[in-house]
Amino acid sequence: MTAIRFRLNDIDHAEDVAPRLSLADLLRERHNLTATHLGCEHGVCGACTVLVDGMPARACLMLAAACDDRQIHSLEGLRDDPIIAALRDSFHRRHAVQCGFCTPGMLISARDLIQRGRAGSEAEIRAGLSGNLCRCTGYTNIVSAIAEAAQSVGAQGKTS
Amino acid sequence: MSAADGTTGSGIGASLLRREDARHLDGRGEFVPDIRMPGTREIAFLRSPHAHARIRSIAAPPGSKGRVFTAADLPRIKPIRVVTQAAGAKSPPWPPLATDKVRYVGEAIAVCVAPTRGEAEDLANSIEVDYEVLEAAVDAPLVWRGSRHLIHESWGDNLYLERTIEGGDIEAAARAAEVTVTREYRMNRQSGAPLEGRAVLAYRDHRLDEVVVYASTQTPHTVRVALGEILDIEQRRIRVVAPDVGGGFGPKARLYPEEIILAALALELDHPVRWVEDRTEHLLTCAHTRDHHYKVTAYADRQGKVLGVDCEIIVDAGAYGLWPQGPYQEANMAGRTLPGPYTIPNYRARTYTVATNKTPLGPYRGVGRPGACFAIERTIDEVARAVGRDPVEVRIENMIPAGAMPYTSIAGMRYDTGDYPASVRLCAELLDMPAIRARQKQGEADGRLVGIGFASFTEQTAHGAAEFASRGASIIPGFESCTARILPDGSLVLMVGIQSHGQGLETTLSQIACHELGIDPSHISVRHGDTESTAFGFGTFASRSMVMSGGAVARASRMLRDKLCRIGAHLLQCDPAEARCEGGAVHGPQGSVTIAEIAKVAHLRMDGLPPGVDPLLDMTATYEPQISTGVFSYATHGAIVMVDPETGFIELIDFAVAEDCGTMVNPMIVEGQIRGGVVQGIGTALYEEIPYDAQGQPLAVTFADYLMPGAAELPAIKIGHMHTPASATEYGMKGMGEGGAVAPPAAIANAVRDALAAIGAEINETPLTPARVLAAIKKVQQAAKA
Amino acid sequence: MKPAAFDYARPRSLSEALELLARPNIEARVIAGGQSLVAMMNLRVASPGLLVDIARLPDLGSVTEEDSTVFYGACVTHAMIEDRIGPDPSGGLMPKVAETLAYRAVRNRGTIGGSLALADPAAEWPCVLAALDATAIIEGWNGKKAVACKDFVTGIYETRLAAGEILAAIWVPKLSPTARWGYVKLARKTGEFALSLAVAVRDPARGYARVVLGATDGPPLILDATSRLCARGMPAAAATREAIAADLARAGDRQFDAFRHSLHATAALRALTQATQATA
Repeated sequence: MTAIRFRLNDIDHAEDVAPRLSLADLLRERHNLTATHLGCEHGVCGACTVLVDGMPARACLMLAAACDDRQIHSLEGLRDDPIIAALRDSFHRRHAVQCGFCTPGMLISARDLIQRGRAGSEAEIRAGLSGNLCRCTGYTNIVSAIAEAAQSVGAQGKTS
Repeated sequence: MSAADGTTGSGIGASLLRREDARHLDGRGEFVPDIRMPGTREIAFLRSPHAHARIRSIAAPPGSKGRVFTAADLPRIKPIRVVTQAAGAKSPPWPPLATDKVRYVGEAIAVCVAPTRGEAEDLANSIEVDYEVLEAAVDAPLVWRGSRHLIHESWGDNLYLERTIEGGDIEAAARAAEVTVTREYRMNRQSGAPLEGRAVLAYRDHRLDEVVVYASTQTPHTVRVALGEILDIEQRRIRVVAPDVGGGFGPKARLYPEEIILAALALELDHPVRWVEDRTEHLLTCAHTRDHHYKVTAYADRQGKVLGVDCEIIVDAGAYGLWPQGPYQEANMAGRTLPGPYTIPNYRARTYTVATNKTPLGPYRGVGRPGACFAIERTIDEVARAVGRDPVEVRIENMIPAGAMPYTSIAGMRYDTGDYPASVRLCAELLDMPAIRARQKQGEADGRLVGIGFASFTEQTAHGAAEFASRGASIIPGFESCTARILPDGSLVLMVGIQSHGQGLETTLSQIACHELGIDPSHISVRHGDTESTAFGFGTFASRSMVMSGGAVARASRMLRDKLCRIGAHLLQCDPAEARCEGGAVHGPQGSVTIAEIAKVAHLRMDGLPPGVDPLLDMTATYEPQISTGVFSYATHGAIVMVDPETGFIELIDFAVAEDCGTMVNPMIVEGQIRGGVVQGIGTALYEEIPYDAQGQPLAVTFADYLMPGAAELPAIKIGHMHTPASATEYGMKGMGEGGAVAPPAAIANAVRDALAAIGAEINETPLTPARVLAAIKKVQQAAKA
Repeated sequence: MKPAAFDYARPRSLSEALELLARPNIEARVIAGGQSLVAMMNLRVASPGLLVDIARLPDLGSVTEEDSTVFYGACVTHAMIEDRIGPDPSGGLMPKVAETLAYRAVRNRGTIGGSLALADPAAEWPCVLAALDATAIIEGWNGKKAVACKDFVTGIYETRLAAGEILAAIWVPKLSPTARWGYVKLARKTGEFALSLAVAVRDPARGYARVVLGATDGPPLILDATSRLCARGMPAAAATREAIAADLARAGDRQFDAFRHSLHATAALRALTQATQATA
């Protein structure tokens, strides 16, 4: 067992974890934070994307043991985030959700694109979403929802 | 809740925003792996590494009793057996845990229980199995007559079913032909690959004396039927729940061995057990899909009018039949759909559904139709090229004109309403065809070649009893049910037998009830997916839910409306004939009473009820469309591609759909279904394939090898609508959920054909990989040299 | 799929890491970003007994420069290179390559050293670093040693790293301001592994030109004849095709099927054309 201290959704934790426990399973099974979904466990589909030290990362490829001294945010910890709020609103109005399984990872990746100023055009957004698979929507509405949220975030000068 | 188009209408035709969104956008979706039961143990399976082998012995590690189970340890589990009335069909027994033989890579041999999934996998890896490896039968066209590699020894061959569909006189057509076009087509095996794999959580509920099975399934009620039969338990003691399901698309509309095994283990061990499949398991053992071979000959006159089509269709159906329908409908559907939207007067389709040592084949968005569409639409294009005419013109000239509807095709499909030629013209307009032709003349600076291609199809939807009976099905999903219940406070619950897994039925069914009852959707809940809370229904598949379940909701709502009016009229002291239900209240000539007030009387103040009217506001209705041969949506898809003739790479630069699904309950959701389906069709066209080697080993079992379209590979999908209501359904609705996936492979292959027209290369196999494109180009270039 | 059990250690220094790797009777492996290794372990294709986590060793995470060389710590992430954190010796080539590598979430954790040390035949960095004439700096019990990146990868997942050694840094010589490069990655999808990869670097002010092919089912393949043509600038198409064909034919034990051969030839030609065009 490895002892780790980490900050999860802005709350400090100290725990012992088996080395082979992934961050995804730490979140889902230990902390009952089930917004982070597992679609492949080899880093391709993006459904498990969370923020590690503020940057998107695959929770399925991150060992919990390697999270010592790190800040982790899952979608549950971003409920008050203004960019996520803008995205929730635009995803809803643009019908960018169908089954919902890709949605948390998609929101976190989209937030990162907007925050880094990489959501300026359809082509840029599409390239930026290469690591988030969706099987239901065909992406058209997801792309326009992100473009819309980027506009509204830009207009309000809100970034966190 | 507001409507996306800014209106406040919430009934039929409103693009009402979805109520499902709130929980998913908040990360509060509840999929099977999200559900917590104290004491749950995790499950992993030992699966066969061989495509075909006898099992001589299985040795579980010492001390693993109670943690490792083989078929011998779970004798209550009977084999799965598809029952079919299709003449001449063979149906193999399928033991959920293998007994003496394994017949495909991934077949389950033992089940392991441990505190964590990692430990369960460790346990599975420590089991020793002694195999006698047998030769695998992998090539369907070669092996169906197969005497050497019998998959099911008692059969004498490897044929599930042979069936010929014919009409008219194909020999006469052959004799009259001025032009004959023969081609072979292949739609390769792939997966439906929803983003959430399968999962099962099973436990015993002692209070209710039930075994509870949470499953990521599209068909909870029929899963319950199967579990009852196979485990020999009365259905009243089984509950199946499909909570949120992360995509289904067809593969989750079948019964799986794992569902049976988990239920049996829950009974045996009396603690909850959970199996969450990983992606490799999914790609190995969830239903495989498509896998068709076609040989098509079209006979035509010198104008390109098709006189007859003769074809042979082979479906590679894998080692076992998936319950309840088995593999039989795939070839049947392909054979009956291949004539397409055309007036082909002479036809023959000889179909063969073949057993191989591969994963069992199941339905996937479109089922047999994408393959059939590929075959006929490529052929129409080749007929046009053979007579030197534009494929768009030849297509239109062969089509059933609007004035001929209803029209029964030569394969016996009764097309109800529609204007097929108009869809072709609309699609060409959406893609600005003249501009593409001009661009082709100019050429591209980077040497790539641009091409445009089209494909049209009809989609049989919401078919009922007659259609399934004609397929020999022993379970006939010919109706849907709804219980509509107004609660004492006037709020409404709709309990339905379908299962919404992305289609937005929690929203759209409430729109129908709103239309009938005037209750706003914000006061309506839709319950689905749980055998405990809904009357029997078949689930969501075959593009049926809006028509079937919507029809049931409409009927039950009207029954409620009638009772509301009777009680309301009594409270208003007016003639029931003068009462009308609107805007959440019943109105008479001199006043109104709200539904809430009526509901209070019906439950809490029954002394206020009129004589002869019982308490409660609770109605159950079923629904079947007036024609059970189906109502037909249709569309034409168009694709514009850029092909790099040096690398074979294809870029999709534009895609349009001109479609008609009759009355749309929620246009926003309809468009979402179209786009989602189209992108899956693009996946079939360009990316998705599970190849098998000669030993029966599947070669794409992770997302590193199994490619699916991402946002960067796709254009925005354009959509144009036509509206020809159905005559036989509520409100004129037609099903449409699968259509998007049917035509893209054909449209894209036709576009590539157009792009490479000067070279003369054709690619008649999906996916159109760069390797296949280059090989096709090389073949033509080498033939030219010779 | 969950990995087999293993031990995990996070050393505080490079020497502590080397000590852990030297432990007898246990298969120890270095983990940095883990984007390839953990995926392999999840699939149980790799099952080391001990993971030695070097991702946050202070010496390994920065990009610095001195004179004509930029020094990358092995644990510099692909995202850092994409975002141009620190000096860029490559005139934009390395940031461009980083941008095409996998997906942003993977780039945030995956490292240039990890990629080079794993030596996946379709990986980008082994090919690009060979083309830039970079040097791999290896730390071991015997101290430091330098190996040219063009010689570092010796086979599929095989490198000059001996047991117990750690790839600590990569030194990249700076290109002259007048240098040009070409980079062609042929993949069916954005972020996927390449079916063919070609990098051409031409720096006449330093008398340097090299054309390298990756995704060739072996170590990065230096195209000698093509590199000589590249040095001369603006080669004729026919001569270029001949040189590439000759280089591919000389590619030792590698068997290219017709399709891959075609792709490699096309990628090399296009990369060379990019590098020798007189554009700013």
